[in-house]
Amino acid sequence: MDNRKKNILSRNKIHTQMSEAGAYTVTTLEPWPSDVKLYQPYEVEQILLQDQANSLAVQVFLRMCGLEFQVEMRSNAEHMSPSGKLPFIKCGAFVVADLDPIVSFIANKGINLTDHLDAAQKADMRAYMSLANNILGNAELYISWCDENVLNEVTCPRYGSVYSWPLNTLLTWRKQKQVTKKLTALGWITKTLDEVYEDVDHCCNALSERLGNHLYFFNDRCTELDAVVFGHVFTLLTTPLPDNRLASIVRSYPNLVEACQFLEKAFFQKPTAKTTDDDGDNFN
Amino acid sequence: MASNPVMELEIWKGEWGLPSVDVNCLEVMTYAKFSGTPLKTKITNNPFKTPHGSLPVFQHENECLTKFGEISAYLRKNNHTADFELSPKQCAEAFAYSHLIYEKLVPALQFVWWIDSKNFVEFTRPLYAKLLPFPLNFYYPGQYEKHAKQLAMSLYPEEEDLSVIETAVYRQADECLCLLATKLGEKEFFFGQSPSSLDAVVFAHLAPLLKAPLPSAALQNHLKACTNLTRFVGRVLQRYFPKEIKDHEQAERKPTRQESEYSDPEFPNKLRNISIAALVSLVAMTAYAMSTGIIQVVPADEGEED
Repeated sequence: MDNRKKNILSRNKIHTQMSEAGAYTVTTLEPWPSDVKLYQPYEVEQILLQDQANSLAVQVFLRMCGLEFQVEMRSNAEHMSPSGKLPFIKCGAFVVADLDPIVSFIANKGINLTDHLDAAQKADMRAYMSLANNILGNAELYISWCDENVLNEVTCPRYGSVYSWPLNTLLTWRKQKQVTKKLTALGWITKTLDEVYEDVDHCCNALSERLGNHLYFFNDRCTELDAVVFGHVFTLLTTPLPDNRLASIVRSYPNLVEACQFLEKAFFQKPTAKTTDDDGDNFN
Repeated sequence: MASNPVMELEIWKGEWGLPSVDVNCLEVMTYAKFSGTPLKTKITNNPFKTPHGSLPVFQHENECLTKFGEISAYLRKNNHTADFELSPKQCAEAFAYSHLIYEKLVPALQFVWWIDSKNFVEFTRPLYAKLLPFPLNFYYPGQYEKHAKQLAMSLYPEEEDLSVIETAVYRQADECLCLLATKLGEKEFFFGQSPSSLDAVVFAHLAPLLKAPLPSAALQNHLKACTNLTRFVGRVLQRYFPKEIKDHEQAERKPTRQESEYSDPEFPNKLRNISIAALVSLVAMTAYAMSTGIIQVVPADEGEED
């Protein structure tokens, strides 16, 4: 036992050196505390597509690991996060944001979902995670902030909903500028809406090919990739938008939808993890 | 735009035995080679007149495309593809890995090229300044630097310290290189015997990083440590760009001539410039002397009239 502990400790040191910038800097091998909280914006009236997808991905990942947590909704979650990314978890003295750092943070505690994969499969998994985050994540940003219809009818009212008058316009404007800058740097701003839909279709096609007629992507067991894809697919399917073409694109890949429904049943409708009251309502 | 029956690609010039110094140009050129597309390349080194201010520009009939995705889709429509031997699942894999590169390696390449101040000042800026024609060479390197900085800032919006961003970006790139090395293994190409679109993407992103003589070479050294990737780059170069390698070797074989030419690359016309300067100063001094009356020129016929 002691030996194992030592091994994990030395591994932690390596992990921490490579850990996400600014996320956390001290090694730990404490057990998972019972008061871990996951922070995200208000789910019903405030949260936007991409944050919702990421938050769901982290939630389902934590549940896959069998770790207990509570979802806390805060109107200023975005400004509380250490890297500006959502969602983030508070675990003891540590605040960790975004899925990748959270995965490596939990791996430091000796818990991970990828032990059953060989090196090649791990590489494949990372590649598909990049694909999903890169295309679906950016498409969600694009739809939310660059499509006039969605921007005026959904994004602005939702993003500004928690602030009063001058602040809601100002902060929404600032956020829009920030997102536009990001999409410009990534080369997405020059795309047309149809090109974005086409990209999403390509991406879903690739994921669906990989999934085949299984429920999980690798070895019939859960991995981070399942969590990421679940987050995006569930969000795209369930979020009402003025134009529901994104949902219909995703729906044309029945195996993705089926896997998503399966994960929802397995991890959100079973009382495996403690959730706050707000959270329970949203997955019924 | 006039219709153009030949497929033509405007590109950045090549260096260090590569057909082009630019990742995006290399991507298209390699894909064209792999798919057997008859593509005529034209070295312009001038992004000024292009649709988005960037090279490469692909022209065929009335189409004018600039992005790799668009160009490869267009070539596929014209029955030129490198992927027809792949199963749908392998196509999905190729697609996923190319996005792994775009997400994890591209920011690091931008950092190495344009943000790392040693590389930028000593290597990248002089390189592009030399390639670009006269007034543009003052404009574009700065623009590219700005673009790279914007990319880094937008990926890490809350981080102001560049060195922290640098560590994060390099860590991601290292991880990406390891994953690619694992995926490639000891195979000839990523999906067996024949090259695919993924091979084109990987080659295009790795070759400049491997071949460029970078002053600050942390990421380059990491790539050199992945020997199967470096062999892969060498293999693609040998098989698909033998002419560039030969030209490069020939240039290397004449080091003495190169050396004498290279001795003063910044001032190739030193003698001419010195004589022009001397002439100008001589004219200026004479004019001054004449205007103040130190030298007086008496017209020859003035005396005769007297």
